[in-house]
Amino acid sequence: MNSYAFYLGCIAPNRYPGIEAAAIKTGKKLGIDLIPLKGASCCPAPGAFGSIDLDVFYAMAARNLVLAEQMKSDIALVCNGCYKSIWEVNHKLKHNDDLRDNVNEVLKEIDMEFKGTIEVYHLAELLYDPKIVGIEKIRESVTNPLTGTRIAVHYGCHLIKPKKERHFGSTDRPTWIEEMVEALGAEAVEYRNKMLCCGAGGGVRGYDIVHALDIANEKLINLQEVQVDALTDICPFCQLQFDRGQIEIQEKFGATYNLPVLHYSELLGLAQGMSPQDLALDLHGISCEPFLQKIL
Amino acid sequence: MAKSKGYPEALENKLRDRAVHSEDYNPEFTRKVEEISRSIPHMCFQCGTCTSSCPSAPRSSYRIRKFVRRALLGLEDEALTDPDLWLCTTCYSCTDRCPRDIAPTDVNMAMRNLAFERDIIPVNFLKTVQAIYKTGHGVPNNDVNKAARVKLGLTADPPTTHMYPEFIPGIQKILDHYKLKANADRIIKEAEGGK
Repeated sequence: MNSYAFYLGCIAPNRYPGIEAAAIKTGKKLGIDLIPLKGASCCPAPGAFGSIDLDVFYAMAARNLVLAEQMKSDIALVCNGCYKSIWEVNHKLKHNDDLRDNVNEVLKEIDMEFKGTIEVYHLAELLYDPKIVGIEKIRESVTNPLTGTRIAVHYGCHLIKPKKERHFGSTDRPTWIEEMVEALGAEAVEYRNKMLCCGAGGGVRGYDIVHALDIANEKLINLQEVQVDALTDICPFCQLQFDRGQIEIQEKFGATYNLPVLHYSELLGLAQGMSPQDLALDLHGISCEPFLQKIL
Repeated sequence: MAKSKGYPEALENKLRDRAVHSEDYNPEFTRKVEEISRSIPHMCFQCGTCTSSCPSAPRSSYRIRKFVRRALLGLEDEALTDPDLWLCTTCYSCTDRCPRDIAPTDVNMAMRNLAFERDIIPVNFLKTVQAIYKTGHGVPNNDVNKAARVKLGLTADPPTTHMYPEFIPGIQKILDHYKLKANADRIIKEAEGGK
């Protein structure tokens, strides 16, 4: 069993608790033990805090990192935005003495010190990594294969981009999450401009919602062309943008898609036999019913 | 005044006419953007790959190439007072594709930091600060969600600052160190009082 401090972020636990429940339960079956990171805060939101003052951004993220350092535990998380804050600040503070000194001066006021002793992972990369879990084990854990469903993947931005600072290879045509989707028995479907952003990041969803939704709408049009049963993501903020966003798009643009949007952990949960109730899928803005009827 | 290069006078004048002259020019701005962004906008040759990769460009007048140019030319006021500055979704597509290894996304973020120093910032960014100062989170829990969490076998409040509010004073100390909450309160009050 590999154990990790489970960094929750804001949107998963407070809007899509099924993601949290699924990550814990499916992780256990695959040898990943997720232990609560007590007292963690917002990562902080890279769009908002990064735009206001990068120094505060570093210090706030460092506080979350120190909590995990005190547990002597690497961090696992389920959100691309959190990955940008937590992974990137960990990386920068480890490799830049000036930055680390500045941050530690502030952390001293709350009796904390960033030491740089842990690593940060997105749960999706742990699931894909054959040294931790890997495709084979995911496939073996499936009891309720999603056979006959067509699923598209939204990678989101902040896990894999900017590619020179990350370690996920191609950001033009990645296929590793598609492999994980196919391991669940579903057909992974390619679509036009797959790597387009969801439109929510950088504070844009709050600053100009119509602009943000127009980007999501472009993706939904492209998804409609290939007739998928569901869209899967690895970021609760992207999920919010596509799921609740579809309701807002209907209000503002009059376009209706009714496309179920599920986090990969939720999808994995369903494939491992968790029920829609176990995943609180009724909290989704767009009903997952048409998709569920195909697999249950 | 541009330095003479020893060309014939007519050519000198022609070259001088083509140089950019702006009252707004501030070389410090270029330096500050480069320092905060840890990037190199002065290397930009204006190919436009950034703007053509940008999801915001087709649906607005936001042109990241223009902002990189402004960084290079030190056009501080023009850059910081342009409302398009806040339309970057930080998707990093431009950064991935820039043939000059500039990080235009980070150039934009550095400009936003500098805009905030002059109190130029949309209030939604500051409301996130207020929420985090109060609860540690940008998104609050609610009764429907709490009930759902309990049904899932989770704690009603997640085991974050929501369940352990004793961690909130530490967060407030960090934010107060940078006077962020006080500035956020002040700027929001000014913005909403002026409506």
